[in-house]
Amino acid sequence: MLQGHFDIQLIAIVTAVACALPGVFLVLRRMTLMSDAISHAILPGIVLAFFLTESLSSPLLILAAAGTGVLTVFLVELLQRTKLVKEDAAIGLTFPALFSVGVILISRFAGNVHLDMDAVLLGELAYAPLNKLKAFGYDLGPVSLYVMGAILVLNLVFILLFYKELKLATFDASLAATLGFAPALIHYGLMTLVSITTVGAFDAVGSILVVALIAGPPATAYLMTDRLSRMLILSAIIGSVNAVSGYWLASLFDVSIAGAIATTTLLIFGLVFVLIPNRGIIAIARRQARQKWEFAQTMLAIHLFNHEGLPEAEAESAIADLHEHLSWDPTFTNQVVKHALNNQYVSRKETQLALTEHGRTIAQQALVQ
Amino acid sequence: MQASKPKAIEVTDLTVAYQDKPVLWDIDLDVPPGVLLSIVGPNGAGKTTLIKAILGLVRPAAGNVLIYDKPYEAQRRIVGYVPQRGSVDWDFPTNVLDVVMMGRYGALGWVRRPGKNERELAMQALEKVGMEAYITRQISQLSGGQQQRVFLARALVQDATIYLMDEPFQGVDATTERAIVTLLQELRANGKTVVVVHHDLQTVTDYFDWVMLLNIRRIASGPVEETFTSDNLRETYGGRVAFMK
Repeated sequence: MLQGHFDIQLIAIVTAVACALPGVFLVLRRMTLMSDAISHAILPGIVLAFFLTESLSSPLLILAAAGTGVLTVFLVELLQRTKLVKEDAAIGLTFPALFSVGVILISRFAGNVHLDMDAVLLGELAYAPLNKLKAFGYDLGPVSLYVMGAILVLNLVFILLFYKELKLATFDASLAATLGFAPALIHYGLMTLVSITTVGAFDAVGSILVVALIAGPPATAYLMTDRLSRMLILSAIIGSVNAVSGYWLASLFDVSIAGAIATTTLLIFGLVFVLIPNRGIIAIARRQARQKWEFAQTMLAIHLFNHEGLPEAEAESAIADLHEHLSWDPTFTNQVVKHALNNQYVSRKETQLALTEHGRTIAQQALVQ
Repeated sequence: MQASKPKAIEVTDLTVAYQDKPVLWDIDLDVPPGVLLSIVGPNGAGKTTLIKAILGLVRPAAGNVLIYDKPYEAQRRIVGYVPQRGSVDWDFPTNVLDVVMMGRYGALGWVRRPGKNERELAMQALEKVGMEAYITRQISQLSGGQQQRVFLARALVQDATIYLMDEPFQGVDATTERAIVTLLQELRANGKTVVVVHHDLQTVTDYFDWVMLLNIRRIASGPVEETFTSDNLRETYGGRVAFMK
C-alpha cells in the first residue's frame, strides 16, 4: 500500500508538471480555453484509435488524440478567419461537435468494452498504479508513469530548445515573423504539445480536470513573478504542491483524487491571489486605503494653502466648519484632521487649523505636479 | 529611370485588399538610401498596411517589394521594425533588458540563446535611448514614452540598414519626442534609411527630409520641400487641412 501511495503521488506530480509547462504559454497567449477545447475534442481520436488497437495504453492513442487536438485548433482558427464568428464562439462550436462524435462512437460501438464515459471525463488516478509495465518477468512500475514521464521530458526538451522562440512569438508575433521565426509553426508546435500532454494526462485525471492542471499553476505563478523563466519554474513547483496536497486531501476525506487536486489548485490560487505582497488583493486594498488618506490630507493642505492670508481664511480654516467647506462627512473630516495633525501637515490654533512649513511644501508640490 | 542608382526600398504596383476592399491601390514607391521618410495620410489611408506589406506581414494581392533589389525574405537581417506600441501585451512577464535583447534573436537564428555579447549590445542601445537605468524594470511599469524608447532600442540593437517605424511618436511626451527625433536624425547621418508612419503634419518639415503622402493611392512622394505642398495635402486629406498657409 505504501508503494501505491508513492506511485500515485509520483504520477500526479509528473502529470501536474507536464501540464503546467505548456500551460504557461497558453495563459500568456490567453488561450487556456483552447486547452479545454482540445481536452474534449480529442475524444473521437482516442475512440477511433481504441477501436483499431483495442488497448487503452497504445501509443497510437496518443498520436491519434494529438492529431485530433491539432485539428481542433485548425478548425477553430478556420472559423475565426471567416470573421463571421469570434474566437470564443468558434471554440464553443468546434469542440462540442468533435466531442459529441466521440460520445456517439462510444455509446454505439463500445457499450461492452472497457472504455466508459466516467473514466474519460474524470479519470481515475487511484487505479493508475495497478496497470504495471512488465518486461522479462520484472515489474517496472506503472505504465502511466512512463507515459507521463516521456511527455514531461518531451515538453521540457521542446521548451528548453525553443525557449527564445516561444517567448518572442508569444510576446510579439509580428516581430517574430519579420525576424524569420515562423510564428504559425511555433503556434502549432505548442498546440501539438498541449494535445499530447492533454491525452496523456486525461488517463490520470480525466478530460475536465486537465484544464485545472494546465491553467491553474501558471495563473498562480503569473501573480508571483515578472520573469518568464521564473514563471515556468514556479508553475512546476505549484503544480507539484497542488498534486501532493490534493492527494492527501483525497486520502483524508476518502474522495476522488482528481477532484481533490483540482480543489487544491483553486485554493492555492485563491491564497496567492489574496495574500501575495504588492499585487494580491489585500495589498491592493491596503495601498488604496493608504492612498485615500494621503490624498485627503493633501486636499486639506491645498485647501488651507489656497485661502492662507486671505480675508476668508479664518472661516475656511475653522475646524468645526471644515466638513461643510469640503463637503466631507464630519467623522471622515475629523479623522483626516487627526492624521494631518499627527503627520504635522497642520497645527491647531484654538479653533483654527494652520499649515505647518511641511504642510505648505506638500501643498505646493501637489499643485505643481 | 537610372538603372545604376540603388534603391533601399522599391515598391512596385502594390495592391493590398481585404476581400474586395482595397486598402492600398497600386502603390509605387522608391526610397533612396539614407533618407528620413515620413508616411503621412488620414486614418485608414493604409500607412500601417504599407509598412506591413514591405515586411511581408501582409500578403499583397498584386505587386512587389524589393529591399536593395532582393525580396524581403533575403534581407531580413538588414531591416529593423518598430511596431505600434499597442501591438503587444505589456503585462508579459519580462523586463526592459530582455525585450531589447529580442532584437538580436534574428541574428542568433533558431535555438541559440542570447549571451554576454547580446547583453552588451542591448545595454549600448539602452544607453542611446536613455533607458539604461531601467533594465530590470517590468515593462508594464514604464510610461508610454519609456515603452516607446524600449521598442526603439530593440530595433537599434538589430543594427539594421533600413528601419521601419509605425507611429513612434504616438502618445509620448515632448521630451521623448525630441529624443526620438535626435535619434532618427543620427541614424540618417550614419547612412541608414528610416521610414516612419507619422501623424502630425505640423512637424513633417522639421523632422523629415522625405515624405510620402498616402491615401489608399500614393498621392506623392519625394523630398519634403517639393512634395509637401498644399495642393498635394488637399488631395490627400480632401480639403480638410485647415492649418496650411
